[in-house]
Amino acid sequence: MSVIDLNSMAEAQAADRQEINERLQRLREEVSDHCYQCGKCTSGCEAHKLLELEPHRIVALLKKGLIDELVNSDIIWTCMSCFKCKERCPQKVAPVNILFALKNLAVASGKQIPGDFTAMLQSAMEKGLIQDVQQVNTRAGETRTREQMGLSPCSKPEDPEKFQMTIMTVAMEKV
Amino acid sequence: MARYALFPGCVMSTEQYGYEVSLKTVLPVLGVEIVDLEGFSCCGEPLKSINQMLTLTLSARNIAICEKEGLDILAPCPLCHLALSETKRILDNDPKMRERAASSLANEELKYRGTSKIYHIIDLLHDIIGLEAVKEKVVRPLSGLNFATHYGCHLIRPSEMGRPVDSENPQKMERILEVLGAGSAHYPEKPDCCGGPLLPVHPETSLTKTGQKLKAVQDQGFSGMSLCCPWCHKMFDSKQKKAGETVGAKLNVPVLYITQLVGLAFGIDPGKLGLELNLSPVDRILGGQEEAGA
Repeated sequence: MSVIDLNSMAEAQAADRQEINERLQRLREEVSDHCYQCGKCTSGCEAHKLLELEPHRIVALLKKGLIDELVNSDIIWTCMSCFKCKERCPQKVAPVNILFALKNLAVASGKQIPGDFTAMLQSAMEKGLIQDVQQVNTRAGETRTREQMGLSPCSKPEDPEKFQMTIMTVAMEKV
Repeated sequence: MARYALFPGCVMSTEQYGYEVSLKTVLPVLGVEIVDLEGFSCCGEPLKSINQMLTLTLSARNIAICEKEGLDILAPCPLCHLALSETKRILDNDPKMRERAASSLANEELKYRGTSKIYHIIDLLHDIIGLEAVKEKVVRPLSGLNFATHYGCHLIRPSEMGRPVDSENPQKMERILEVLGAGSAHYPEKPDCCGGPLLPVHPETSLTKTGQKLKAVQDQGFSGMSLCCPWCHKMFDSKQKKAGETVGAKLNVPVLYITQLVGLAFGIDPGKLGLELNLSPVDRILGGQEEAGA
C-alpha cells in the first residue's frame, strides 16, 4: 500500500454512496419543511457575484429531488465554504452542508475530482499533510527553511502505513 | 505556566513560518508554554468537499494525540479550529459516530476521550490570558496605526459550532489591537472571504476576491491589515502582488499576523517575529513604530 491509486479510489463505492444519499435525503426532508426561498443565502453568497452560485436554487433543486443533476453540475464546486448562508438563514437551513454532501456524493460516484483537490488528497494520504514542507522567500529575496527559522521539524504521522490504514478504513475501503 | 499542545495544521507548518515563529516568541512572554507533539496530520477541513468522514477521522486522531499528553489544544489556524471543534461536538454527542471513530483510530493505537479543550490564538489572548495581562507587557505602543482586521470565515462562522468570536461583528482582535495602542476602524468588507478556499478549483476568481478586499482596505486608508489565519495570510500577503494584477490595481497593503503585532508592541526584535517573511510592505509599519517608540 505504498502509492495511492486515485483511479481505483474513484471506483463506485456502494457503501459510501448509500450513506451520503441518506444524508442528502435527510437534508431534503429538512429543507422541504423549512426553506421558503427568501434568497437571503444567495444575497450574501461569496461565490454568487463572480461564479453565479445561487444557494437558494441549490436548495430548490434538492427539494425537487434532482440530486443526479446537481451531482453532475460544476456549480457545486464553486462554493467557498464561507458559511454565510448557514449563518444567515432565518430557517436554519444550511446550503453549505447540502453542497458538501453533493460534492462528497460526486466523488463517491467516481466523478473527476476537480483542480488541485486531487494533489491535496494524495499528499494527505501519503504524508499526512496536504502539501510538502516548503522553502519560503523573504522580502529581501532570500530563502528560508523551517530549520533556518529556528523551528523544529514538521509534525507528521509517525507510521505512514498505520496512518493510511486509519483513514482508509473510513473513507477508501477499495484502495 | 499554562501549557498547550500546538496543533500546527498544514499551511502554517509547511509555509507560513512567520505565524509559528511569532506565536512561539510571544506566548511564553505571557506565561504560556507551547508544546510541540509528534504524529499530527492534516485536520481534514480542506478535504471536506471530498469526504466529510475523512475530515472527522483526521480531526479525531489529532485530538487524540493531544489527549494522550493530557493537554488542551491551541489551533492557530481557523480551519483546523473549526474541524477540531466540529469533530469534538459530533463525537461528544453521537455515540454511533464515536464508535466508528474509535475503530479507525485503533489502527494507530489512539483513542478519542473528549478531555481536551480547543482554543484559537484570539480567544487565548482575549479570554484566557486576558487583555490586562497583554497590556502590561506593552512597551512600544502601536500608536498612530489603524488596522483593518480580518478573522477568516472559519473562525467567525458557523456560530452554532461555538466560534470564539461573533459571526457578523467580531470585536476581540479590535480589543487586542486597542491594548497594543493601535486603532481598528470598521469597514463594510470586514466579514468577507479572502478567496483562499477557491484556490484549488478556480484560482483566477480566488485571486479576484483577494484583490477586491485588499483594494477596499487600501482605498479606505488603513495602515495595514491584521489577521489570524495562515490561509488568509497566504492570500493577502504572499499572493498580494498576483491579486493586484488580477484586479488591475497597484496594491501596497502591509499584512501582519496579530501575533507579530503583539510582539512589536512588546518591543521584541522583528527578526524574532518572522517579519522578514512577510512579502507585503511591512517596513512601513516597522519604520513608523521605530519613530513612535523613539
